[in-house]
Amino acid sequence: MKVEFSAEQNALRKELRAYFEALMTPELKAECDESMGEGGGPLWREALKQMGRDGWIGVGWPKELGGRGMSPIEQFIFVEEVMRAGYPFPFLTTESVGPQLAEHGNEWQKREIVPKILAGECLIAIGYSEPGAGTDLASLKTSAVRDGDGWLINGQKMWTSLAHFCDYVWLACRTDPDAAKPHKGISMFLVPTNDPGWSCSPVVTLGGVRTNATYYDNIRVNDDALVGEENAGWKLITSQLNRERLSLVNFGPTAEMFNNVVRWAQQTDLPEGGKIIDQAWVQINLAKVRAGVEALKLVCYKQAWAMTEGQLDMADASAAKVYGSEFFIEVYRLLGEVIGQASLINRRTPGADPIASRIERLYRTASIITFGGGTNEIQRDIISAAGLWMPRASR
Amino acid sequence: MDFGLSEQQRDVQNLAREILGEQVTAEKLAKYDSYAAERFDRELWQQVAQAGLLGVAIEEQYGGMGFGFFEAALIAEEVGRNIAPLPFISHCISAAMPVQQFGSAEQKQSLLPGVVSGEQLLTAALMEANNEDPTQPRLCSAQAGGEAVLVSGEKLCVPFAEQADYLLLAATDGDGAVVVMLPRKAEGVVLEAMEVTTYEPQYRLTLSNVRVGAENILARGEQAQQLLASVAEHTAAALCAHQLGASDKAMRMTASYTAERQQFGVPIATFQAVGHRAANCFIDVECLRLNCYQAISRLDDGVDASVEVAIAKVWAGDVGHRVSYAAQHLHGGTGIDRDYPLWRYCTWLRHNEMMLGSSARNLAALGSKIAAGEAFCA
Repeated sequence: MKVEFSAEQNALRKELRAYFEALMTPELKAECDESMGEGGGPLWREALKQMGRDGWIGVGWPKELGGRGMSPIEQFIFVEEVMRAGYPFPFLTTESVGPQLAEHGNEWQKREIVPKILAGECLIAIGYSEPGAGTDLASLKTSAVRDGDGWLINGQKMWTSLAHFCDYVWLACRTDPDAAKPHKGISMFLVPTNDPGWSCSPVVTLGGVRTNATYYDNIRVNDDALVGEENAGWKLITSQLNRERLSLVNFGPTAEMFNNVVRWAQQTDLPEGGKIIDQAWVQINLAKVRAGVEALKLVCYKQAWAMTEGQLDMADASAAKVYGSEFFIEVYRLLGEVIGQASLINRRTPGADPIASRIERLYRTASIITFGGGTNEIQRDIISAAGLWMPRASR
Repeated sequence: MDFGLSEQQRDVQNLAREILGEQVTAEKLAKYDSYAAERFDRELWQQVAQAGLLGVAIEEQYGGMGFGFFEAALIAEEVGRNIAPLPFISHCISAAMPVQQFGSAEQKQSLLPGVVSGEQLLTAALMEANNEDPTQPRLCSAQAGGEAVLVSGEKLCVPFAEQADYLLLAATDGDGAVVVMLPRKAEGVVLEAMEVTTYEPQYRLTLSNVRVGAENILARGEQAQQLLASVAEHTAAALCAHQLGASDKAMRMTASYTAERQQFGVPIATFQAVGHRAANCFIDVECLRLNCYQAISRLDDGVDASVEVAIAKVWAGDVGHRVSYAAQHLHGGTGIDRDYPLWRYCTWLRHNEMMLGSSARNLAALGSKIAAGEAFCA
């Protein structure tokens, strides 16, 4: 048992922190703020390609796939640092879909798509939810029907985040309407967003973040677009979600925000004399966040370690997702209280404090991941069944 | 980065798990309820000593295994899992380890072999009235008496004081502290039995001009402060491990019970309201486990662990409380029935939560460190 990074890993962390300090120019930061922390702008794209050219995106990937051959821990360090720097990193593409394609993809996908992902030149959105299929995902209706040597795709997806600037949608389609169990009739496709039958319309959310409804109107793809076996998509969906969950609860940005708020409270004067941080209640709020962040760090590092050892535990992954997503909401509340009314001031206000306005925004976006990435009720079902061997209700 | 246990650590853990799991039964524990008998299974203590577990962190030259604090804390976790009636933490962690680290060659030679064999029992008097900070004794003072010191004052809640041969005890000494290994039978030592929530033997210790010879003075001045800081951190971390074992067991008892218990024709575990409360316990226990293991591994490595121990204590207090009440609640009336073993876990979870500081106090201490710029995230 040892929680510390090795000397090499610490050096890598330091190198990455300096790298991102240089990469995150004021112009890029401003563009990222403008995109409400989701990226997609021209400077953002260029920075992603730069990371690809510098060999960072695949730092923990095997060399034969174009990576640097380090372990998932180094990959984790990279993601932690890029997120900590405030760069909206497209982890759904690089950390969840990418590894699935590398493992289960066909020749074309491995040859054409995977290298582009590692080069920062290919972005993929997730197409699972539909107007009538959310938590009960297996009831999805978007269909792919055999059409000669290809497939004809029709349907509608909801909450297809980032799709408006992605190259492909990782799309769950019904390929066998008569399957004995609904989840046994689903296949995965990579559908290009430049197809004339593809369209999307924006959905603006509480946090100001854009997501999308996406439409699939007689899109014809060939077998290259099918990922894995026909009707064997469910396993790909669940393992993609397992990986996604780990990326959702990254510890870097929260640690950075805690440190920033502590410094702010140490430096900021109270009108009656003394500093903000001198107040007992402020110290208690900060201590609650600090104790929680430590657990988040350990939960995340344990997952990274477990991936390196090849023994990622399902209950642990779900526990990490539930803990992290619910803790973030608590963090923004507790730190917002320390900041006070400034934590309600939007960044567009002239002179708005960057830390305070970040909390203003994050508090509004925090609820997304308690249900996104597999709602926490389902995660708790998984934990009680897989972690505690409790029987589940049939549904 | 390694979240696994070494082979050596697994061996120690398995050995403790095997012995305690076999020997500590609900029937045996029932004998000690309400102080009907002294809550100390001496037969089991000898068995644990023979297996070498009392000397797990003691050097081989004194008969120990020569491993470290991490292994000792893993045993504390198993003691907690079984709420074993043994003075493991007070003897091995709070007293024997500081003797090994700070004692003179003669002191080590005279005390440690008996510690390992189980022939000598040690304990530590760490609490005073309204003063739960073991590093700052206020209600015991020591006066110089030639080479010796004369100690007067009072300590509270001293575990196994009556049963012990020596008590580690700190007293103020003019401008600092002096730490002694007080022979229990020294003249002027009065012990008064206290009754506490767990039925652990605990005593109020009153000292009137007790003469402690130079041979039993463990540390003075700067060294005494170091010793006390080390005892406080190691004891707190071991209590966290005890809490981890007890929480984990209470949670798993609850999972098993709800999987068996039928209402409306189905196991109550199949209700989401039940499963989710158990899942919350799982997340809580995992957070406690990771923070506890981090703290004990840092202490074992001899690197600064003050922030990590403070955080582990916060988790231990909160998680113990939450798991205790979730376990009680999900068991319904069975949980409070004294013929079913869960209730004892609830008293121990409470005991650990309050020993050497509560979550509120620990949060405040962590908050002071943060304000002083000593607890930034790496």
